[in-house]
Amino acid sequence: MTLTIDRRQLLAGMAATLAFGSIGLGRANAATAMRLLWWGSKERADRTFAAVKAYQAKNPDVSIAGETFGWDSYWTRLATQTAGGNAPDLIQMDYRYIFEYARRGTLLDMTPYLGKSLAIEDFGAPNINSGKVDGKIYGVNLGVNSSMVVVNAAAWQEAGVEQPHDGITWEQLGDACAKVTAAKKRRGFYGTGDQSGGEPALECWLRQHGKALYTNDGKLGFEAKDAAEWFAFWAELRKSGACVPADVQALDQQTIETDMLVTKKAAVSYAHSNQFVAIQGLVKEKLDLIAYPSNPDSKPGQYLKPSMLMSVSASSANKDAAVAFINYLVESPDGAKTLGVERGVPASPKIRDLLTQDLDAISKQVVDYIGRLTPHVGALPPAPPNGAGENAFLLKKIAEEVAFGKSSTQDGATKFVEQAAANITRG
Amino acid sequence: MAIGANAPARVTTIYKAPSAFSRNAPGYLFLLPWLIGFFGLTLGPAIASLYLSLTDYNLLQAPDWVGLDNYVRIATADDKFISSMKVTLFYVVCSVPLKLTFALLVALLLNRGIRGLPVYRAIFYLPSLLGSSVAIAVLWRQIFDADGVVNTLLWYLFGINGPSWISNPDYSLYTLVILAVWQFGSPMIIFLAGLRQIPTDLYEAASLDGASKVRIFFKITLPLLTPVIFFNAVVQTIDAFKAFTPAYVISSGTGGPIDSTLFYTLYLYQEAFGYFRMGYASALAWILVIIIAIFTAFSFLSARYWVHYDD
Repeated sequence: MTLTIDRRQLLAGMAATLAFGSIGLGRANAATAMRLLWWGSKERADRTFAAVKAYQAKNPDVSIAGETFGWDSYWTRLATQTAGGNAPDLIQMDYRYIFEYARRGTLLDMTPYLGKSLAIEDFGAPNINSGKVDGKIYGVNLGVNSSMVVVNAAAWQEAGVEQPHDGITWEQLGDACAKVTAAKKRRGFYGTGDQSGGEPALECWLRQHGKALYTNDGKLGFEAKDAAEWFAFWAELRKSGACVPADVQALDQQTIETDMLVTKKAAVSYAHSNQFVAIQGLVKEKLDLIAYPSNPDSKPGQYLKPSMLMSVSASSANKDAAVAFINYLVESPDGAKTLGVERGVPASPKIRDLLTQDLDAISKQVVDYIGRLTPHVGALPPAPPNGAGENAFLLKKIAEEVAFGKSSTQDGATKFVEQAAANITRG
Repeated sequence: MAIGANAPARVTTIYKAPSAFSRNAPGYLFLLPWLIGFFGLTLGPAIASLYLSLTDYNLLQAPDWVGLDNYVRIATADDKFISSMKVTLFYVVCSVPLKLTFALLVALLLNRGIRGLPVYRAIFYLPSLLGSSVAIAVLWRQIFDADGVVNTLLWYLFGINGPSWISNPDYSLYTLVILAVWQFGSPMIIFLAGLRQIPTDLYEAASLDGASKVRIFFKITLPLLTPVIFFNAVVQTIDAFKAFTPAYVISSGTGGPIDSTLFYTLYLYQEAFGYFRMGYASALAWILVIIIAIFTAFSFLSARYWVHYDD
């Protein structure tokens, strides 16, 4: 939509703005004016603005201005605003970044509000703790989330292979996927996307083997031989044709839109459970979501994590009002209903029960998945150390080197462990 | 006020030439937006970045003075500096001569007085206008994708099942070189202007003497065009060093696959905005400034041996 204004109109408009400035700016001059910053899709923006509007209707003295960005530009924007002393009052925060922001003193410690204006006791300890840094609450869980395997049910049926289900082993998944490829029902179609460069999948695999990406004191929690086994597993799948070739996988930019299942290159792919609704939205065929593969003797690989948190800036002039708004989002039926499960399954059981009554079938699949998975999950891993963000890209790059045959699985693994450790040391 | 006594002085004041400043004041006034922009948005940030390059700065905390540490690391312990510099140099060395050759060839064709010249000029210039835009880079993705236009053509014309050009580390950089060459419009326009400057009597004399077209081109056109070639070469080289958008869009900012499209500017961007190492990124930026300066100085030094100014 374009708006054209000629000069006369512009001048008239400017005069009017000056003359009626006090009226026009009424909202921003409300007793409490706050800014809210988040990342995400259009769906999320619509829901968030609706929640803000509903809140303002009930609290006429509060005005909240919302801004939204994509994931990449979001962190640039937030860091720049924070550095410029212009941080938004309400900040959508990710578990990956909360430690960095909290320890640098940029977030409000919300512990004193707990049980008062922040009535989130019914979240249960794990979900409250997911927003804690060094024992203090810096973020409130906006939704519970876990990694997942997405399965294109129609493609599996077409190939005549039994569809993967919860509890399948890694080997079985590989064999089944090879059969899908071999069935050749679609052109350039494979059993699964190549997940050797995917950090959540590697983390799950490591945890099942009793290792971790990072230890509690912020060191690497695995060795070169673990990484070599991981690369070797996927090399095997590449050889058997179970997973997509390297140059196809390289098109996956780790976004929903370029996902191997969404781009119709594979019958199986990997993502986070709160993304299921969006992925199903992009694919016409029916999808299912299941837990990651595991072997009978595996330790729990997956965990429940906050899909995202809501934090308050330490420099906010309206701290109390900001906390009250967060409470509205997660604990009031009105606020929670507007948000739905788009940010993950609500942590409060009371809200969750309220929501499931009128959820659509796809959102119900997600709630059902989290319910099924909960008895089998392990503890939330410690916060990743500084430099860990770089390691996610490093894993992707080295997995590509192995997949394109530029490194052996062993050399790739050694290189990955060395450089990942160096990245953490550098911070 | 005693008007009578001061009268002569007043007259001289009125007719005294205005001071240099007041004479130039309107000029400075009109320059003001540019001056503010230059000092506020160019020189100021440049000085700030020079200072930050000597610090460890993550945007959230105050910069921490580290002296020359960042530069030492770049020189001694940064593999990515070397690999991204290699990618960039390859890009510069491949794309600039190809682009200039192409631009000159098209300019020569257009210079022959064809009908509808302005239309062709506009059409050829268009890609340069859209040059560093995201839209073009996205289009490029579509063309060189596994199921893109190139592979579809290859399949129907030759029955070849082409690779996914943009996602194969062996080819991805070439697609960016081709993209750069395709945007030959702006040097072409300058070449065209240069060709128009060559006096026609030289051509007439040469053709009367029976010189061949090839000979005319190498003995008249090319030597007289060297100042324009020089100008284009310097500008395009600097531009190529600074190339960012195409690589950013084609690899979604990763420089992948396997860092094959990790341009220097992309690496700098990752350090600054991906990992919040503003100090280190500033040091990388200053190294780039120095490298470009060396290249430019070298061009100017070499110019005296091959650039002919017609006196």
